[in-house]
Amino acid sequence: MEIRLVNLTKVFPGNPKKNIPDTRAVDNLDIVIPDGKLIGLLGPSGCGKSTTLYMIAGLLEPTSGEIWFGDEDVTRLSPEKRGIGLVFQNYALYPHMTVYKNIAFPLTNLLVEDPVVDEKGNKILAFYRKHVKALPTEIPTHLKGEKVKNPFKNGREEILKFDCSHIAGDPILDDKGEQLYVTRKRHLTKIEMDKLIRETAKLVQIEQYLTRKPNQLSGGQQQRVAIARALVKRPRVLLLDEPLSNLDARLRLQTREEIKRLQRDTGITTIFVTHDQEEAMSISDEIVVMKLGVEQQRDHPQEVYNDPKNMFVAQFLGTPPINMFNGHVKKGVLTIGDDVIREDLPKDLDEQDVYVGIRPEGFLVPADKKDYVFNINVDMIETMGRDISLVGSHKESIKPSFKAILDADTKVNVGPLAVGVKPNKCFVFLKDTEERVI
Amino acid sequence: MEKKNNWKAWLYLAPVIILMAVFTFYPLINTIGISFLADYDYTTGTSSGFTFDNFAFVLGLKGVESGGTVSYLTDVIQYAIPNTFIIVIVTVPLSIIIALLIAVGLNSIRWVKSVLQTIFFMPYVTNAIAVGMVFAVIFESTGLWNYVFGTMGTDWINNGASSANAMFALCVYIVWHALPYKILIFLSGLQNIDKQYYQAAQLDAAGKFKTLMNVTVPLLSPQILYIMITSFIGSFKEYSSVVGLIGKPGTSGDVGYRNMYTIVYYIYDSIAVNQTHYASAAALMLFIVILIFTLIQFKVSKTRVHY
Repeated sequence: MEIRLVNLTKVFPGNPKKNIPDTRAVDNLDIVIPDGKLIGLLGPSGCGKSTTLYMIAGLLEPTSGEIWFGDEDVTRLSPEKRGIGLVFQNYALYPHMTVYKNIAFPLTNLLVEDPVVDEKGNKILAFYRKHVKALPTEIPTHLKGEKVKNPFKNGREEILKFDCSHIAGDPILDDKGEQLYVTRKRHLTKIEMDKLIRETAKLVQIEQYLTRKPNQLSGGQQQRVAIARALVKRPRVLLLDEPLSNLDARLRLQTREEIKRLQRDTGITTIFVTHDQEEAMSISDEIVVMKLGVEQQRDHPQEVYNDPKNMFVAQFLGTPPINMFNGHVKKGVLTIGDDVIREDLPKDLDEQDVYVGIRPEGFLVPADKKDYVFNINVDMIETMGRDISLVGSHKESIKPSFKAILDADTKVNVGPLAVGVKPNKCFVFLKDTEERVI
Repeated sequence: MEKKNNWKAWLYLAPVIILMAVFTFYPLINTIGISFLADYDYTTGTSSGFTFDNFAFVLGLKGVESGGTVSYLTDVIQYAIPNTFIIVIVTVPLSIIIALLIAVGLNSIRWVKSVLQTIFFMPYVTNAIAVGMVFAVIFESTGLWNYVFGTMGTDWINNGASSANAMFALCVYIVWHALPYKILIFLSGLQNIDKQYYQAAQLDAAGKFKTLMNVTVPLLSPQILYIMITSFIGSFKEYSSVVGLIGKPGTSGDVGYRNMYTIVYYIYDSIAVNQTHYASAAALMLFIVILIFTLIQFKVSKTRVHY
């Protein structure tokens, strides 16, 4: 199911007496989340990503804007009616219940609709209620003298008394023009629940822990239980709040693959929130980068990385982070200090100072073209096995040092070094708006 | 290292230990001793030897002979024990349930919360006797209770009112007076429960009552156990409420009428008439009963209290 956020805004009121201003946690957010995809909401803490998630869940009420699930407006719908599964950051498993009971809890409240059948097993057609209400004047002859109750209220026995052809009125039709049947809401039976619980437990691989209490489980297992609890009622949307933040590094790698697998297997539209860009990039079909409640960029992870819209996105994505330099543009030529880095900038750009971002992997050693040489100073060489990392310095670098990742076979020494710069790893941003030029 | 500095620790603890030894431990042990002494006189400290008769006398199994007639003590077995058990069985569960509901209610509102908290806590800082006197006025035959509930002329606590009536008034008073402390404990417990449990329950479409029974009560179980044990002990020792509300051990003016006796009331009465040995025997039996109840509760709590 597609989820649409339309002009979604959340303002937390401040306190004018104490001079605390209002906080715009989410500001006019417009996102369309395609059906069956895994979307990562990514941003630094305080960027409104969790607030957005809680608004989708219905636990927070938006100040303005709309939330649509498919073609249903759920903005004012209470959380329990939205059909969502939410995995909390600290899992919020009930400590007093076993894993089995934790997963069963959502099911005990669930109501399912069953068609009502007569003794021959035929489903009973539904008619408009107003006709049923008018029944006493149209009681079928074989029911004369009996006390007539509203068949829609009293279930099967009462309906069976009526031969449906006696009920005058229009049948209820669904969107496709098919006649609907009389249904009755009921709770799930123990056996149905058990089947669902075991299926879901199997899906997240916790079948052997069903009798344990949450505090007898490791963090990773607890998280699977939390996911199972969210999935067991077959939600329309699955929401994950920082799903990996409480796990250690190894478990994190394993779990994120598992979340991806689960999402693929179930096909449930999933939104997850994280401040860890690596996490977001590795499993999301699409990521939404947010800053101070405003969407910065939404695209496939690699696109966002390769083609950042502004300086914030460029700086936020990538480990080690992008290296920023002060540069200058004149007649389409980009220079850092005295070195010419690129000559392909738009000619109509006014002469001005700019920020230049170069990804760590965007350096070439040795420089391949004589024309574009960037003279840096190598302070330190860190060997990391697969590749090496240069810690360099440059007088125009915004930070005291910057990092370049090079192939492990590269021969470099500490001291001055001329490096090349890959044009597709080098971005130029305007000083005032921080928007990207090229 | 540790041994070297040990005397310092003892020194710091000394004031408390000495005071407790004199006023708590010694009387405690002495009580056990006295309960086995026949005809103990605390003014002279004399007795006529070791006996089990004190227990039998208190329970009305053995009489005292004076002037050729044997008189049995019936007040304890007839009034004090049943009354005490009624108080325990009625007021403890009732006050816990009401306190829990009020605490949950208080916790869920924001507006005037602190004002209401203060109001609910007021009875706790009010003297039991003073509150009892106010309740005595309320429960007079021309009092507020009768006025509000249209039961004019009914005697609740005076003029030979029935035990049932007096017990009703007493229980109302005890429950009311017991609420604030329990509300306070529950409220602090509730504030420690992570809000996310409730959000999770809400997302799972659990109703209010279901959330209370499946989330709040289990997560509050440590506090509930604590309150249960302390209020069981407190209720077994109920005495000041009877004095405060009724002012005498019975509902009629007759001195010998003791239909509102409680076990501790009997203990105090016995001390006053230099029957310390009976008082000690009663106290020891009460202690054993409380001990058994507490042990049972601990046993039950092992399967019911989580964490």
